[in-house]
Amino acid sequence: MELQAVLMAAGGGSRMMDLTYNTRKPLLPVGNKPLIWYPLNLLERVGFEEVIVITTKEVQKMISTDPKMKLDVKMKLDIVCIQEDADMGTADALRHIQQKIKTDILVVSCDLITDAALHEVVDLFRAHNATLSMLMSKAHEFTETVPGQKGKKKTGEQRDFVGVDGTGKRLLFMANEADLDKGLVIRKSIMRKLPRMHIKTGLVDAHLYCLKKSVVDFLADNKSVSSIRGELVPYLVRKQFSKSMTSPNVNDEADQKLKKKDGNANLEIQILSRDEVLLQLTRERSCWNDHRGDMSEAYHGVRLRCYVHIMDEGMCYRVNTLAAYIEANRLAPKLFDEPAVHPSAAISVRCLIGADSIIGASCQISDKASIKRSMIGASTTVREKVKVTNSIIMHGVTIEEGCNIQGSVICSNTVIGRGADIKYCLVGSAQRIEPEAERTNEVIVGTDQLMEI
Amino acid sequence: MSSRGGKQKKGNVTSEQEEEEQPLQAVLVADSFNRRFFPISKDQPRALLPLGNVAMIDYTLEFLTSTGVQETFVFCCWMSNKIKDHLLKSKWCRPTSPNVVHIITSDLYRSLGDVLRDVDAKNLVRNDFILVYGDVVSNIDVSQALQEHRHRRKVDKNISVMTMVFKESSPGHKSRCEEDDVIVAMDSKSKRVLHYQKTQGLKKLQFPMNIFQHGSDEFEIRHDLLDCHISICSPQVAELFTDNFDYQTRNDFVRGILVNEEILGNQIHLYVTQDGYGARVSNLQMYDSVSSDMVRRWVYPLTPEANFTDQQGQGCTHSRHNVYRGAEVSLGHGSQMEENVLIGRDTSIGANCHISNSVIGNNCTIGDNVVLDRAHMWNNVHISSNVEIHQSVVCDGAVVKEAVHLNKQCVLAYNVVIGPNLSLPDGTVVSMHHPEEEEEDDDDEFLSDDQEVGHSKDKTRQKAFNPAEVGPEGKGYIWKASMNDTEDEELAQCLWGLVLNPDPESDSESEASEESQDRSRSVSPEIDDVNAFQLEVLGTLQRGLEENIVCDNLVLEINSLKYAYNITLKEVMQILTRVVLEYPFQQQGTQLTTLQYTGSLLPLLKTWSPVFKNYIKRAQDHLDCLSAVEELFLEQDTHQTAMVKVLMKMYQLEILEEEAILKWFSTGATNDKSRQLRKNQGLQKFIQWLKEAEDESSEEGE
Repeated sequence: MELQAVLMAAGGGSRMMDLTYNTRKPLLPVGNKPLIWYPLNLLERVGFEEVIVITTKEVQKMISTDPKMKLDVKMKLDIVCIQEDADMGTADALRHIQQKIKTDILVVSCDLITDAALHEVVDLFRAHNATLSMLMSKAHEFTETVPGQKGKKKTGEQRDFVGVDGTGKRLLFMANEADLDKGLVIRKSIMRKLPRMHIKTGLVDAHLYCLKKSVVDFLADNKSVSSIRGELVPYLVRKQFSKSMTSPNVNDEADQKLKKKDGNANLEIQILSRDEVLLQLTRERSCWNDHRGDMSEAYHGVRLRCYVHIMDEGMCYRVNTLAAYIEANRLAPKLFDEPAVHPSAAISVRCLIGADSIIGASCQISDKASIKRSMIGASTTVREKVKVTNSIIMHGVTIEEGCNIQGSVICSNTVIGRGADIKYCLVGSAQRIEPEAERTNEVIVGTDQLMEI
Repeated sequence: MSSRGGKQKKGNVTSEQEEEEQPLQAVLVADSFNRRFFPISKDQPRALLPLGNVAMIDYTLEFLTSTGVQETFVFCCWMSNKIKDHLLKSKWCRPTSPNVVHIITSDLYRSLGDVLRDVDAKNLVRNDFILVYGDVVSNIDVSQALQEHRHRRKVDKNISVMTMVFKESSPGHKSRCEEDDVIVAMDSKSKRVLHYQKTQGLKKLQFPMNIFQHGSDEFEIRHDLLDCHISICSPQVAELFTDNFDYQTRNDFVRGILVNEEILGNQIHLYVTQDGYGARVSNLQMYDSVSSDMVRRWVYPLTPEANFTDQQGQGCTHSRHNVYRGAEVSLGHGSQMEENVLIGRDTSIGANCHISNSVIGNNCTIGDNVVLDRAHMWNNVHISSNVEIHQSVVCDGAVVKEAVHLNKQCVLAYNVVIGPNLSLPDGTVVSMHHPEEEEEDDDDEFLSDDQEVGHSKDKTRQKAFNPAEVGPEGKGYIWKASMNDTEDEELAQCLWGLVLNPDPESDSESEASEESQDRSRSVSPEIDDVNAFQLEVLGTLQRGLEENIVCDNLVLEINSLKYAYNITLKEVMQILTRVVLEYPFQQQGTQLTTLQYTGSLLPLLKTWSPVFKNYIKRAQDHLDCLSAVEELFLEQDTHQTAMVKVLMKMYQLEILEEEAILKWFSTGATNDKSRQLRKNQGLQKFIQWLKEAEDESSEEGE
């Protein structure tokens, strides 16, 4: 087994609390499948047979009991639960399962929906014997209107600056605009080695990483690192160019022992991806080089290397905001070829269902209902003369006669009263909208789920 | 490169179509406005120095002509007559020349800025023009760049004022000029220059964030560019130089445009060529590498045998291993021309010589058993037998006598005689001009170097040649490179330019320190409010002292800080006490003796007593203040003797009341240390004194 897959599915979805209050993020329905299905499917497609899923007890229980959440995968799932309130970061989670990690790992986040060719990332990892390789994609503009959001989305967001080399593969620099108040600083020695650097903004990090096993061991020793994206990756990127990584005699036994006495040096040496002797010999004898200009050895003797595959086209979404959730729902059905209308759904002949809509299992759609560009969850009842456009209706919702629902998200088990007119709203779960209500651009949630301040 | 001819024709056609009535113009600056080639350029202007036996200005003019320039303005200053004579004799001034050359001379030009201001004043250019120096060697076809430039100007309404031409060349390449080591930040799509900086001597490259806020999401930072010193300029460039009379060089201009981009709305773009060759001979290092590139045919079609200057007798033959021979070259028995050798006409070489990577001018004579490697010999040079020359320049008319050994980077200027039996160490420069004489002669010529003026006026002159330096029959004076360097802050002033020695070790320190910074940054907790408040109070008091602010205002400030950081009154008092008592340490270091400490503290207490009085009112306040004092002196246990003095002063200033002090003394002791503190003799006495005073006062009261 070359790579072990690890799926991180313990996140709370803190950036879309209104949605995740009742349904945990991994279980949010996207195209009538729980969100967690997408990364699992991605892994299954490329041939993984076993996945370690890190999640919370609650999610595990739901997966195993609730039929609506049934994961339609053949892979062997090794579910590891962590305590929800322990406030564990992704790196903490890796440390937690360190015992299970036997090889290099592929870490995927549960909110990733992509049609990326995973082998591109893994090939980089293999070809360059990299310590880290990751996936990024051009950021997409979200076109849909987001319920409950007043005005246009603010554009003054902090951008991420990603620096790659001339080939666009090697990851050289990574920083957030917020940390660059003194300007972007690059050491000249880096520029001498890799004289051409592309600085890209407007990329999304797909949170998909190939990591060497030594990195996990490093995490086990270095407890202060708690997040992969926030701390580990920037640390690795920075470490590429620090002196200790390039010193030629790290293989030296005595040297190693010496360094072990020194606490910090010890941690650094752990993370070193030590090239095997044969591999090193190959590199010495080969005329291949990764750079031009000066005559120094390939990679300039750098042992820790980070690479990134940047998708130019294709789909790559991280469902971590409401806007992304809506967008994902619009596009996700294209990822799998299942009938748009579930066979067990009871659909009246005299209703109108657009080709771009999905109807879940055991739904009831009555006469003269019209459903366009929408997703209807399982066991939902849609009565006569209801119009649903551009909306996401989750499981077990009842929509009474004559309702008009447009551009909205209706969470599970809600009842919409007769003749209600709901436009661009987010309706929380188990709500009851009174008949003839007119709501526009609102977030309708129960008082108990208002955000605590 | 073979496709160049065709491409060029196409470029010409299109440019002609675009503006048939407007010929393409160029401004050629045949002066460097610096002294990098001194003392060689004392006898001959840099533009006329031979490179591959052809004057450098000829390469520049050939480049301009081949790229389609029809009108060139040559600006000369230093030794303008020589340049003028040369050009008048050359093919450029023949009536058949496709490129009309106008020579404009003036002794008043001091910089590129002056030249361009003159261009503006005389209204010479009517359209986009090419700006080059007279020492640029290039075969780049700029018509592509020119088209891009024109297109940009059409689309963007004259926003782009300049397109700089760069050659791609990775760091470490030998034709890379260390002085022109630039870093460029550009917009990947529009090729717009956002940041332009010379990196010499920098360890970290810093890019201001505002350059990344132009809407684009892809930028490029490039360190693999060699500045060819070819720029395509709009007519505005000349105007901008007139408007900004402080612009001296193109560097000033570029920096000015980039900094003032927001105000003036002008932009600079760049054009990068991958296969062309372009370099400016800005120092001898570059001379060496450009010359060897020339012989190795990198500048094709400008090759030695092409005789593009169309001069009689300049022709030579090209044979394998890049060996070129001019007419009437005689080669002695057993002599070897290994590779990359160019020999001018009428040169005779003796027997058993070994020549490699060298250029030898016209009419030279070389004796037997001579070894030449990377030697650049100009015309009429006489080399006797058994001479060895490595990587050196030997100028016109120089004579090298028997058994002389020139080590690396030697320069023999015009008409110098060296030897016999001498070995010149690395980097020796010999000239017929005395190093000190030139400074007076040329002061008026080069005002830019005026820091050198008069620095050696009263030095005694040694006019005699020193046989120890130039040999028994030698003629010439040694120029010491260090002579100039003492005054120039720039290292770059030596003739050969900087020696390439990237120093990897020096990086490690900064890296290490950066790492440690990183670590401390990630580990150290954020400064909590109390600490921040303490720092602010310290700052306030400091400022108060410096600017003589009234205590009432200080109190106001501290009060506002108290609210800002949500500090209780008790903490305010404790922190205030602490800050004041630590103030001498803060200002003068912790190595103060107790005497110095009290000496500086007591006046401070007096100054700030109103501040204290404002906060210390209730009995509890007094106790808190005292406990703060105690706490501090427990930490600074070497200064405990000062404590009694502090308490005394505070008592005298009526900051503290005697009851409070007595109460504190009798009850405040909570642990061993504070008990120990109270056993201090001075303190005991003070308390004793207080008690008596109290008794007295109470007695008086009765």
